[in-house]
Amino acid sequence: MSAPSENIQPIAVVPRSTPLLIRHAPYFIGAAIVVALAASASFDGYILNILMQATTFAIAVFGLSVVLGLCGQINLAQAAFFGFGAYAVAIGTADYQISYWLCLAAGCVMALLAGALLGMSTLRLGGHYLAMVTISFQQIVTLVMINAIWLTHGPDGVGKIGRPALFQSSQSYLAFSVAMLALVGYFVWHLPQTRLGRAMRAVRDNELAAGVAGIDVFRTKIYAFAICAVLGGLGGGLFAGGFAYVSPDQFSFAESIVFLTMSLLGGVASPIGSAIGTGLLILIPEWLRFLKSVPGLYLAIYGLSVILIIRYMPDGIWGFVTAGLDRFRRKARVPDAGLPLILAPAKTGGEMVLEVTGLAKHFGGLKAVDDVDIAVRRGGVHALIGPNGSGKTTTLNVLSGLYQATAGKVLLDGTDVTTMPPHLRAAAGLGRTFQNIRLFRSMSALENVVIGAERPGNTLIGKGSEAELTLRAMSALSFVGLGPRANELISSFSYGHQRLIEIARALAANPTLLLLDEPAAGLNSSEKLELHELLKRIAAQGLTILIIDHDMTLVSEAAQHITVLNFGRRIADGESMAVLRHPDVVSAYLGTD
Amino acid sequence: MDLALQLLFTGIGIGAVYALVALGFVLIFRATNVVNFAQGEFSMVAAYLMVVFAVDLALPYWLSFLLSLAGMALLGAVFNLGVYYPLRHRTFLPVIIATIGASILMANSVLAIYGPQPQVLEGWFETPGIQLGPVYLDSQYLLIIAATATLVAFQYWFFEHTLVGKKLQATSQDKEMASLLGISVSTMIMVTFIYSAVLGGLAGILVAPILFVSIQMGSTIALKAFAATIIGGFGDVTGAIIGGLSLGIIETFGAAYVSVPYKDAFAFLVLVLFLVFRPQGIFGERVAEKA
Amino acid sequence: MKLTRREFAAGLAAGVTAPYLIGSARAQGATIKIGMCAPITGPAAEAGKYATGGAKLAVDAINKAGGVLGKQIELIVEDDQTTNPGIVLAFSKLAAQPDIVGFLGSIRSTQVHAMAPDVMKLGKPVMFGGTDPNLTKLGNPWLFRFRPNDSFSGRVIADYGVKTLGKKKWAVLHSTDAFGTAGGKALTEALGKLDTTIAIDQGYANQSQDFTPVVLAIKQSGADILGSYFTFENDLGIFARQLRQLGVTIPWVGSPSIVNVTALKLAGPALYGTYGVADYAEESSEASKAFGKAYRDAYKVAPDNQSSWPYDAVMVLAQAIKNAGSTDPQKIREAIIAIKKYPGAEGEYNFDDKGDGLHGYNIVKNEKGNIVFDKHIDFND
Repeated sequence: MSAPSENIQPIAVVPRSTPLLIRHAPYFIGAAIVVALAASASFDGYILNILMQATTFAIAVFGLSVVLGLCGQINLAQAAFFGFGAYAVAIGTADYQISYWLCLAAGCVMALLAGALLGMSTLRLGGHYLAMVTISFQQIVTLVMINAIWLTHGPDGVGKIGRPALFQSSQSYLAFSVAMLALVGYFVWHLPQTRLGRAMRAVRDNELAAGVAGIDVFRTKIYAFAICAVLGGLGGGLFAGGFAYVSPDQFSFAESIVFLTMSLLGGVASPIGSAIGTGLLILIPEWLRFLKSVPGLYLAIYGLSVILIIRYMPDGIWGFVTAGLDRFRRKARVPDAGLPLILAPAKTGGEMVLEVTGLAKHFGGLKAVDDVDIAVRRGGVHALIGPNGSGKTTTLNVLSGLYQATAGKVLLDGTDVTTMPPHLRAAAGLGRTFQNIRLFRSMSALENVVIGAERPGNTLIGKGSEAELTLRAMSALSFVGLGPRANELISSFSYGHQRLIEIARALAANPTLLLLDEPAAGLNSSEKLELHELLKRIAAQGLTILIIDHDMTLVSEAAQHITVLNFGRRIADGESMAVLRHPDVVSAYLGTD
Repeated sequence: MDLALQLLFTGIGIGAVYALVALGFVLIFRATNVVNFAQGEFSMVAAYLMVVFAVDLALPYWLSFLLSLAGMALLGAVFNLGVYYPLRHRTFLPVIIATIGASILMANSVLAIYGPQPQVLEGWFETPGIQLGPVYLDSQYLLIIAATATLVAFQYWFFEHTLVGKKLQATSQDKEMASLLGISVSTMIMVTFIYSAVLGGLAGILVAPILFVSIQMGSTIALKAFAATIIGGFGDVTGAIIGGLSLGIIETFGAAYVSVPYKDAFAFLVLVLFLVFRPQGIFGERVAEKA
Repeated sequence: MKLTRREFAAGLAAGVTAPYLIGSARAQGATIKIGMCAPITGPAAEAGKYATGGAKLAVDAINKAGGVLGKQIELIVEDDQTTNPGIVLAFSKLAAQPDIVGFLGSIRSTQVHAMAPDVMKLGKPVMFGGTDPNLTKLGNPWLFRFRPNDSFSGRVIADYGVKTLGKKKWAVLHSTDAFGTAGGKALTEALGKLDTTIAIDQGYANQSQDFTPVVLAIKQSGADILGSYFTFENDLGIFARQLRQLGVTIPWVGSPSIVNVTALKLAGPALYGTYGVADYAEESSEASKAFGKAYRDAYKVAPDNQSSWPYDAVMVLAQAIKNAGSTDPQKIREAIIAIKKYPGAEGEYNFDDKGDGLHGYNIVKNEKGNIVFDKHIDFND
């Protein structure tokens, strides 16, 4: 394929992929066989109960693999969400004779709402705080289940829970539950490859970079939490129908810990791991029943195994197995190099792409940035320099929304972005890289760049289909010279190449303005030359760049315009050569006596 | 008024127990950035050790007390080596899970060894309490309040005026810097675990005469102590004390004037309110995110 | 990617089929098997020890006397972990063994509720000790109760307090779990029919560390007698001590837990002078005395209701099988219903068609730590 001439919009040849449903047919055939097996094999009551428990628990544990495995957020209240579904079905069918399906749906909706609300109130905190809030929520739910006797029958629990007319026998109900498990499993298995799933992984790997790449971090976390809760509710609803009786102690904090352990034991990263973990943690205590002659012994062994598994199988059993299998796995084919990269920065504003006026950022009494004006002309390379601690990086962080400005105004291509969070600035056309590289380390180079290409407002990805995104990302990777290594994990790249991937991620988004935070830091001299060449090629496409760097050679050669900061204030601004000769600048860099 | 005074005393007493356990949480959290979910089990194990020494072996109370605390020091060391240390370079999540595993292991090992019957441990004093005007002061609660006050004073002296204390502080503030200064970080973490286990054990021994010695005694206290830790601001010693005391008081008054069955909910409601409106706790400072 | 997919399916299949490995190799024997779900682990593990002890004592006695229908009796115990899912699994594991002819359920009402649907499905007799009156009103013909239900304990507490002790202003205190709520309700209903006032009706959550607010509320209410339903002995112990410390000395009539061995040990003098309803009181009858002696000889501990009801359950089940001359579930059921005036350790069994065997309680008094039988109150309606 020959490169099309500059001014003809290339017609992207998007490789047509086989429809997902056909590619994933083996999964559905396998699932159908398992469902048929569950429906036809003859189980005794004990096995049936165990399978029923394992199936419904697994659905809830799948939820954890989304919130914990994909999105990296902890949830110690999964049993409470499980209880929402279970009690909705129980109370609805037993007390009010409402249709099972309606109750199941209601339970899922309640779990969803509770999960979303809980998430909204606390997901900004994360870490230990999230752990505490979810524990508290769990405790309160348990207390309400016990004490709101008018609704929940209190500790008596609810009996005579109905099942749908279609699945009256335990065996058919089990088959139905297994079918639901298979559907949920498909969803959870496929999720990481979707836009939302990629966003969750990005948030887990690096929240700041995710925000700057245009991902709404907060909303992504809430989605993950809500999905987790809804799967908990679904599992609980199925559980209630399966056992025909529910009571508060089945949804206690201890059960939440069991769910969490199931998820970690099997491997939090994949639904297969969740299924394995669930199966084992239901079966192991059953197998160890022979130890019952000494009370406590088997739970002690259970506790010990948890410690050992965490220590020796950090990625769970499935992670352990896949690590072994990976060596034999066929390397996935690297996608075509794609077309030459096109950059088409938006041009809605005037001559200035970025207009910063009176910008200030104070930390308590410290004025890190104070009353700074910057105007970046469209199509040029503008440098922001200054000695260490002069406020350059703080300025960049305020510009990209990581810090809220104390005062001042930021106009990006005519839009006021002063109060916007990072992902909205990205949507408005801002791209950036970080001084200490922030890539999504569990992903391949290609996936990293695809996340960049997915930026809301990117006009060069057509409808945003998987194929179009891949094409765009490959163009960007090829542009920085790493196309052939697209499928490798970030950890296998050198420092300099990681920097290039970060730039490719920003370029794939087709930004209006690119902020580069010390791109030359840590590079050797030949890499610096390559970087210089790259900047020229980017600038040649008309993309405006605002660069921070210490390397005066790079700055003086690349930039047409320079702004100099010292002690948080602007001390010089103008055409490169003039600024560099400015006496204040010279003294700031060399020191005055 | 008499009623309120009596409630206040009980609230402070039970709050002091939460505070003692919360102190252990805080110390470990400051040193390792990890929440130790097995902290409550330290209290439970220590109470059982007391039963072994003071009741079963009929040793003098003071000797049993010292032996139990020595046992707790050993347990703290083993806990560090077996649970925390191998995972020290991993994220907080696997460590949390490992401590949960350790808590299940400890509780059920004691169950396997000692059986399920709750045990009786006599208090330190012969007299059960004093009637002071309208208020009855339980001698064991008085002891707990005094012990908590003493420990706070000791802690302050220890961290501000001893070399080990200063080293511990340096370690908890900046591990890299501390190791550059020649402080052995792993030793300091070991010391922290030992000290926390002893502290948790002390709480267990003090509270055992009131709550009896049972397998579940640790987990119920620990959850509240945990809440106290958050309310006080994670990683702040004074905060943990204030958090524990206020939780005890809120709970007791809540039970008296609002609802007894929902008593446990008050602690968690207060906690959630704090997390939503003042996540840094009473004393904590909001930590800015670094780009 | 293909590999992953296949593995996923394989993983699912393995997860589903693995349980086949368990549950094979179940031997058929020449014994009559009785299954028992008991709390070997969990918060009620100590009660489980007494319960299995009582049941084993009965099995040994029957076997020594030649067994039933010429066969020896064999007891198979499964751990219910003191939880509802635990007992459902334990019961289904026992239920899967076709040669088990009858079962012992739990003393905890909530667990009996949990297993009731499975009992109905299985259609074999299950003896239990939970005292929630509703359990024999579920329309489940396979449940047989070996302790008097709480409607009787409530009536007995009320009857004794009002008629014998002459107190009319009541404080009612109960746990908010299934047992406590049902008991509290039974007591207030019984008091409502007698000429009394209820000064305070207070629930508390299990595993409370402190009862000061409750004690003060009782003190403030001006009640002159206390009726209580406690589930866990440590709660009872803490409450009893604080009650005495804060100077409340009104008479106290409690549910059976107030006189059990652990409570006596924990609370000590704080319980002196209290009354309790006891389904098992050693001095109440010849059969009770005989059981008490046998139990002491075997285990060197004092007997209580945790061990007496399983003992009676096994004895009555064996008697019913003998009377029926068969292990057919329907015939056993009819034989149990037909049992009248059977002298058990718990009292005289007169089964009604709902499955309740006992219809009254003993009142006992704690005299400086010794449990002394006071009187037996029976109801015939």
